[in-house]
Amino acid sequence: MNQIVVGISDLKVSGNIGDVLITYALGSCIGVAVYDPYVVVGGLLHFMLPDSSIDGNKAKKNPAMFADTGIPLLFKSCYKLGAEKKRMIVKIAGGASIMDDMDYFRIGQKNITALRKMFWRNNVLIDAEDIGKNFNRTVQLHISTGKVLVKNSANVFEEL
Amino acid sequence: MVIMISDKILKSINNLPAFPATVHRVSEVISDPDFSVGDLVNIIKYDQSITANILRMCNSPYFGIRYKVNSPREAVVYLGRKNILNAVYAAGTSRYYKKVKGYYWEATKLWEHSVGVALMSQILAKKIYDREAPELFTAGLLHDIGKVVLGEFVHESFQEIMDLVSNQGYAFLEAEEEVIGINHAELGGEIASLWNFPKEIRDAITYHHRPDLMEKGDDSIPWLIYLADQACMMMGIGGGADGLAYRGLKEVINKFGLRQRDFEESIVLLLKDLDEAKELLDLAENE
Repeated sequence: MNQIVVGISDLKVSGNIGDVLITYALGSCIGVAVYDPYVVVGGLLHFMLPDSSIDGNKAKKNPAMFADTGIPLLFKSCYKLGAEKKRMIVKIAGGASIMDDMDYFRIGQKNITALRKMFWRNNVLIDAEDIGKNFNRTVQLHISTGKVLVKNSANVFEEL
Repeated sequence: MVIMISDKILKSINNLPAFPATVHRVSEVISDPDFSVGDLVNIIKYDQSITANILRMCNSPYFGIRYKVNSPREAVVYLGRKNILNAVYAAGTSRYYKKVKGYYWEATKLWEHSVGVALMSQILAKKIYDREAPELFTAGLLHDIGKVVLGEFVHESFQEIMDLVSNQGYAFLEAEEEVIGINHAELGGEIASLWNFPKEIRDAITYHHRPDLMEKGDDSIPWLIYLADQACMMMGIGGGADGLAYRGLKEVINKFGLRQRDFEESIVLLLKDLDEAKELLDLAENE
């Protein structure tokens, strides 16, 4: 098993059955795992903020930082390895919030909204999700099976 | 504020290695505008661990030195007044984070979080006040020092704390108070006091989750540390078991007149600084 770490504002794709993509400590950030079981190709994105318009240069240099630039790049990178949109399974985790943040800097909520809008516009259905609340999550995507595991608040990996 | 600390916790505070005198002495010397480089170098040289850490950090792009630094003298000259102080504090405090027990945090994560808060506090201060402040950097590095001690005690009570947080809607701070009788912020303030830190640093540590409770005095440092801490929690920087289970205080928006956009831009800058400060992050592993 070859573990490939996806950092903050980072994405990795793979078609090697020995690979496990993993990203640590998603707080308000969101991890998006996509997988095409037919060609056995998957990708994992760890984006940080909802909207790239706050820093266009940064978005060009590091598209994985933002939802609106990272998500398209994640899908395109999988297409390059032979994946097709209609077969892709999509799972998301993260988007946690500080408690009582109704009128506060709602990064977690805004990330979730940005992602849903994007998927809605592009006819992408979310197959499973573990989002919100106020704990950190670690996410694994196993390329051999497409299994997505999320470490929950009790520090145990569970399949999503 | 009168705080009851159990004998067990008190004993553990007293067991912490003494705060390196070198750091306070550097801070004293540097506060004199006419300080001599030679004096400073002699103080730093005396502490081998701090010297080694400083030389390591000088390679960090965060400090922007373009030369290879080989000696404490070069370090002092190239780092300059503001950075030498930040570097000395980082060099002197990382030792406490090496052996954090894993109930709160995975090893070295607490240090990563602390450096993140120190860096973010500078970014926010620049954005809000158009200046950086060394006391913020220090407060950032030490704001969670109470967790180093509490981490040893939550062994038995950790599940109880997590149960209150996960199932009963407690914020982590309240759960600590209920189960252990003190929260990590108050305990951290006590430790800073024992280590003879000035009042502004002690207050920043004590009130870093509840700056709204500070009764008098300048509360801008506690609020900035609070905001920097919240940003790092949201971004999962050195995230621990407490996650984001802290209460948000919306007053912070009016306090600093900060817009959503300012906050998000600061987060982008933080990621860049963290990337450039790898050598700082590695200190806790090298101790």
